[in-house]
Amino acid sequence: MRMTVLEALRAAMAHELENDPDVVVLGEDVGTAGGIFRVTQGLQNRFGKDRLIDTPMDEKGIVGHAIGLALFGMKPIAEIQFSGFIHDAHEQIMFCAAKYRWISGGEYTVPLVIRAPSFGGIMGGIWHSQSIESYYVHGGGIKIVCPSTPQHAYSLMLAAIRDPDPVLVIEPVPLYRTLSGEVDDNGEASEIGVAEIVRPGTQVTALTYGPLRHTTAQVADELASSHGIDVEVIDLVSLIPFDIDLVTASVNKTGRLVIIHEACETLGFGAELAARVQNRSFGYLQAPIERVCAPDVPYSYRVGDDYCRPDATRISAGIRRAAEYSF
Amino acid sequence: MPVPLEHAGELGIRQVIDQNGTVKGNLDDPDLGRDEVRMIYETMVLLRAIDERGWKLQRSGRIAFWIPLRGQEAVQVAATHAMAPSDWIFREHRTMSPWLMRGASLELLFAQLFGAVSEPQKGRRLPCLMGNRAVNMVQGPTQVGSFISHACGVAWAAKLKGSDVKVLGTFGDGATSRGEFHSAMNFAGIHRPPVVFLCVNNSWAVSTPLDCQTASTEFAAKGDAYEVPNVRVDGNDPLAVYAVTKKARADTDGHGPTLIEAITWRQGFHTSSDNPDLYRLEQENELWKPWDPVSRTRKYLESAGWWSDGDEAELLERCVGRIQDAVEAAESMDIPGPESQFEDVFASSNWMLDEQRDRLLAEVRDGGS
Repeated sequence: MRMTVLEALRAAMAHELENDPDVVVLGEDVGTAGGIFRVTQGLQNRFGKDRLIDTPMDEKGIVGHAIGLALFGMKPIAEIQFSGFIHDAHEQIMFCAAKYRWISGGEYTVPLVIRAPSFGGIMGGIWHSQSIESYYVHGGGIKIVCPSTPQHAYSLMLAAIRDPDPVLVIEPVPLYRTLSGEVDDNGEASEIGVAEIVRPGTQVTALTYGPLRHTTAQVADELASSHGIDVEVIDLVSLIPFDIDLVTASVNKTGRLVIIHEACETLGFGAELAARVQNRSFGYLQAPIERVCAPDVPYSYRVGDDYCRPDATRISAGIRRAAEYSF
Repeated sequence: MPVPLEHAGELGIRQVIDQNGTVKGNLDDPDLGRDEVRMIYETMVLLRAIDERGWKLQRSGRIAFWIPLRGQEAVQVAATHAMAPSDWIFREHRTMSPWLMRGASLELLFAQLFGAVSEPQKGRRLPCLMGNRAVNMVQGPTQVGSFISHACGVAWAAKLKGSDVKVLGTFGDGATSRGEFHSAMNFAGIHRPPVVFLCVNNSWAVSTPLDCQTASTEFAAKGDAYEVPNVRVDGNDPLAVYAVTKKARADTDGHGPTLIEAITWRQGFHTSSDNPDLYRLEQENELWKPWDPVSRTRKYLESAGWWSDGDEAELLERCVGRIQDAVEAAESMDIPGPESQFEDVFASSNWMLDEQRDRLLAEVRDGGS
């Protein structure tokens, strides 16, 4: 069935609401309004106000109460309206939800999904364009996925809801309505931690996730015809855990790696990827690992989408730097 | 500062017994009867004995940390007794009563203090930061007050799922300054979950006195803004705490949440890392001594003819003996190995953790060769 990313997320949540009475969705404006992006539109009419819960405007309260629901065996899906608003809930996410299993010796668990609409591309400025994943990869206890196609949105949302641990779903806001595709909505979840080769290639590996997967794939096609550079594009899809085997197999083949993400450069997830890859593939590398990221500046309303978030020009330049480097 | 319990009537603090254990407060004696009051008293004395032993274990270097509970025995024992055993209790850091009153062993409690691998948390957390699912005593996170919204959420889930379970969420006076307290009051006011919030106001948040914590003259009234019914109670009067908590629990089937402020006094250090001489006058401690919960409860029992000097001597001997046996058993238990810290991070491990574990074990066992 053909769906947008937004419809795929909704279809997955509806599937679980239909089949598991413990699933509830809570957040600001998720019920009557169907969310400010309308991801949950129609679900309250279908499943009722006890399952689609409009909460006070309180991110730490949304996550904190969702943790309580989860401790008692429910499977809450907590929506943070924009990922830029998630920071108020950081302790609840990282030192409560992500730690209950460990601190209680496995006696209490938090099967919780946190939805974080993320990324630039909507002229949203600093609080509505954030890439927050790096704040959540540190310290363990929470999985992080980042769907970038309707199919990933559907099957990763199912996986996140069914997972016994907290899962942070980094959702691609700019793709919500602009990207559609065939979705096999058969109720089957995908495996968290599996990356996807978007475009096979032999000369340089371009590793990315989120909306930039599509930009990078376009750039790779252009570079093939314009410069004869054969780029292998990998969409990481899942950050914690991430698919190290697929990544290193590619790098061992190409000998060159460019990491592309929207988050700021310093301690962006690319830093971890680069460290892991150089450790595993040191002898295969024929060039320094390149990164194409946002600079360490806040995201501008007027120029952020063009000059903070990497665009095709910068991605192309980064790939060429890696491809053309010689010792 | 005067002891507020002396002016319970004019301050609206619910009280059954005065400092001499005489029933003449503003709240009716719940008439628990000989066996129940004796049980409450005996548990309070056991807690005090555990506290004395725990302190010595810390001071002699056998455990790393201690959180004294002396002076706060009545509130935790009576509140636990007012709840059903199946009710969930989220505990502020000085509460051990559910462990003792719901059938978990003293040996296992001391195993927690020594960080034994066999205790519920597998030796992962500081002494006194304990929990035990077998007795519905939740291991909340250590950050003060962070779990108030979790307690509210559990109660909300119980309501949504049609369960009979109620929740007691206890926290200190300092925790009321945290966002989670206000989140929980706000959500509780809207969704009316079956939760009893118990603010154990022991007058101190480490060194911070009440007038540096809030401009409000009381904590209970903070419930008013959220439509959460609230009440102040003498936290050193187990009969009053029991009566108020019992009513709050019953009311969960009606209006839902209640916020109880139990007024007590931390007689000892905040923790073994504290030094109250820096911020508290000894004469304040002296003022509170007549209001000690253990002595007041004993006087109540004695005036009812339910307790004798012989009973007291026998109880103390029994407590010391039980604790000695528990310490000896717990101190010789196995402690966790380095690999245990990798367990329970997730339901099932992943390659990232596996790689770190294998490397660490190789390094510590054979120098990485």
